[in-house]
Amino acid sequence: MPEAARSRRVPELAISSTSTLVTHTGSWKYMRPEYHDRVAPCNQGCPVGIDIEGYMALLREGRLTDAADLLLRENPMPATTGRVCHHPCESACNRRELDGAVAIHAVERMLGDFALERELAAPPVSPRGTAVAVVGSGPAGLACAYHLARLGHRVTVFEAAAEAGGMLRLGIPEYRLPRVVLDREINRIRAAGVTIHCGVRVGSEDLPWGTLLARFDATFLASGAHVSRPLGVAGETAIGVRAGLDFLKEVNRGGRPSIGDVVVTVGGGNTAIDCARTARRLGARSTILYRRTRAEMPAIAQEIDEAEREGVEFVFLAAPVGFTLDGDRLRAIECTRMQLGPPDESGRRRPVPTDERFTLPADTVLTAIGEAIDPDGLPLAGTGTAIPTDMWGQTARAGVFAGGDLAEQPRSVADALGAGKRAAIGIDRHLRERAGAPLEHREPDALRLGGRGNLSMTRWRDDDPVPRVAPLNEVVTYEDLNPAHFERANRHEDWSLPLEAAVGGFDEVNRGLDRPAGLAEARRCFNCGVCNECELCLIFCPDVAITRRNGHGFLIDLTYCKGCGVCVTECPRGAMLLTREGLS
Amino acid sequence: MSQLMIADQVPGDELMASGHLACPGCGAPMAMRMVLKALGPKTVVVMPACCWSIIAGPWPQSSLGVPLYHTAFETGAAVASGVKAALEMRGDRQTTVMVWAGDGGTFDIGLQALSGAAERNEDIIYCCYDNEAYMNTGIQRSSATPWGAWTTTTPAAHPESNAKKDILAILAAHRIPYAATASVAYPVDLLEKVRKAKAIRGTRFLHILSPCPPGWKYEDDATVELGRMAVQTRVFPLLEVEDGVTWRFTAEHAGDAVEPYLRRQGRFRHLTADQIEGVQASVDARWAALERRVANGT
Repeated sequence: MPEAARSRRVPELAISSTSTLVTHTGSWKYMRPEYHDRVAPCNQGCPVGIDIEGYMALLREGRLTDAADLLLRENPMPATTGRVCHHPCESACNRRELDGAVAIHAVERMLGDFALERELAAPPVSPRGTAVAVVGSGPAGLACAYHLARLGHRVTVFEAAAEAGGMLRLGIPEYRLPRVVLDREINRIRAAGVTIHCGVRVGSEDLPWGTLLARFDATFLASGAHVSRPLGVAGETAIGVRAGLDFLKEVNRGGRPSIGDVVVTVGGGNTAIDCARTARRLGARSTILYRRTRAEMPAIAQEIDEAEREGVEFVFLAAPVGFTLDGDRLRAIECTRMQLGPPDESGRRRPVPTDERFTLPADTVLTAIGEAIDPDGLPLAGTGTAIPTDMWGQTARAGVFAGGDLAEQPRSVADALGAGKRAAIGIDRHLRERAGAPLEHREPDALRLGGRGNLSMTRWRDDDPVPRVAPLNEVVTYEDLNPAHFERANRHEDWSLPLEAAVGGFDEVNRGLDRPAGLAEARRCFNCGVCNECELCLIFCPDVAITRRNGHGFLIDLTYCKGCGVCVTECPRGAMLLTREGLS
Repeated sequence: MSQLMIADQVPGDELMASGHLACPGCGAPMAMRMVLKALGPKTVVVMPACCWSIIAGPWPQSSLGVPLYHTAFETGAAVASGVKAALEMRGDRQTTVMVWAGDGGTFDIGLQALSGAAERNEDIIYCCYDNEAYMNTGIQRSSATPWGAWTTTTPAAHPESNAKKDILAILAAHRIPYAATASVAYPVDLLEKVRKAKAIRGTRFLHILSPCPPGWKYEDDATVELGRMAVQTRVFPLLEVEDGVTWRFTAEHAGDAVEPYLRRQGRFRHLTADQIEGVQASVDARWAALERRVANGT
């Protein structure tokens, strides 16, 4: 049949000659699916402000070096925090709802050790001629110095002690943080262009505040809180009663003080646990006296468990009221039994004394009920128990910033590292404004991970190596996920040194995860809120309207998408949203 | 591996085009797309009247990249038998002939043709995508409609009063080499079954549950979710039967309560708590029977 005749009538057997692509079914829709990268809750929960989800995604692809680079953008000491951080990221982890939080601390530690092993370092930056002084080389000071150096400022750190590290070196026992790890992390910070002068107490004759403040364009104060709070109990000055922090400092410097056979530590925080476990290692029977119960202890839960495993005894709901002395020699600590009353301002139930008294024999009592700052040694007037700052770490005095245990913030390594980073951004902002070259407008809330987390250095620098699709600064909750697409997989637990070896010396107790286990643990990450190209959207689309985009992610062909939303509902990780057509 | 990695197991080639006329969120094109990915381009589709007769597009369009033969409601398996015979006469033993029928064309109107083809062990694959009613013509009940469901012919005052026909057992009773259930919510399981069926000669039967947003009355985005719930509640277990005697489960079935599954669907909105308990009891009883079959053969 001639072509012209064929087209004039329907043949007896109708045969299709075109595909349905001529029908633009996209006009039916009133909802429109969109890809939006959002924020994983761990990222918001991290006081340092690390893109945890980001490095987990890179580890899933086996890209260890890229993962370490992403981590080192935000955290100068991951091998340290992987060991000693209280990891609030894991409390925020959505996987808790399924089968246990991802062991983020162990993955970070594995990656931090990898970075040390490979001697990964920040790319060199050409200095911009601005000089910043950092007072104190604890985690806050080191973090601030490291980030400022990476931003191109010349940074000098002044440390009063003989070696850098602050509380990381003086306060934290070696069995939690081997000094070789700390040394190598500090070396990397030096290699980033940071000069550290040890043995210089700023404010002394060596270097008066006036000289320092005049010599530098900006100053970051991070000298910490080193004054042990007294118990306020008669007999506290007796031989055998001493500040737990001083005891730790002595042991951490290599001293082995004589403490007798029976040691009682008063307090419930990490310093108390460190004291009690250190006392065990010096051969003493070690007891912790705490005025509330285990549930209220501010120490890291895992550390409490370890202490218990090592034979540290706990006497809860008890507070010291006096000491039994033999001459000026301690014999016992006198206690009163407490009970828990209504909650106090910390939200924990307030301990209230009862009439019940008892004594515990003790050769040594270590006090660890908290540390205060020494306001007299600071160039700021009227400072009370903590230095007030704004969100950039700026104090009341222009060009002077502060952070870490000096400032009003939770006293943890991670919070100190986070404060150091915040101040580095604050100082960079301050110096750029002063030089008349501010960065383009950066909203503080947009710099915060998830709106409530710490500031992101990557966002401040605006050089995110992770491709982002229409990012929203919102945290993804478990309800935003589709857990049907995740197999149950048990959390990998850290390996610990056997008990005898642990208590027998100062070798590191928690050995973390080896690299294969760490990488397997990283694959447990849901990658909340960030597309990892699992393709479920593409596979389930009833309209074949989703295709791979060159490079990264997917394209939705809105010419055919009917807006059913199956892709959004099936997205395992909440990286898609359904919006009203035309109103997005 | 903590995430189910499906992408690696799904071929990228598409034999189904966009622009088809299925409703938003329809399970039927999801099923067709996966089945054709597994069968490949050397496939002829025979299609009795069903939703897909419309989905495929009006003449002169077709949404399929393989030949598609539209035929009358009761004739799917008979026409496929003829197409297969004609191909063989031309010396083509490679091309797969697949019937693509809805539940009406399978459970009701096409059952005699299907039974005849199965009896003769015709070398065809028969796929029934089951949306549990005559959806295309306006949601009339079929013998695949589950007990208690609303349809336009079984209104809420007199909902479906018969149990869903056990089509898998009927086909298994024909002792055909392969019969299986599958679901659009489990694409890898579906692909594996189609690949397995393709490699076998004789009559192969696939019963694919295909949730229907307007007919079941749920939001368009929940098709896969309901498919998953149907399996995990054991309302629609994933099974395969070889030679009519070897019964096997092909997935984990959590045994979730049926109530949330029923409550997600407007067609069951009228059910009372007692009635839902009755559905649960019948699901449990059927599951127990299936477990015996899997353990003992037929």
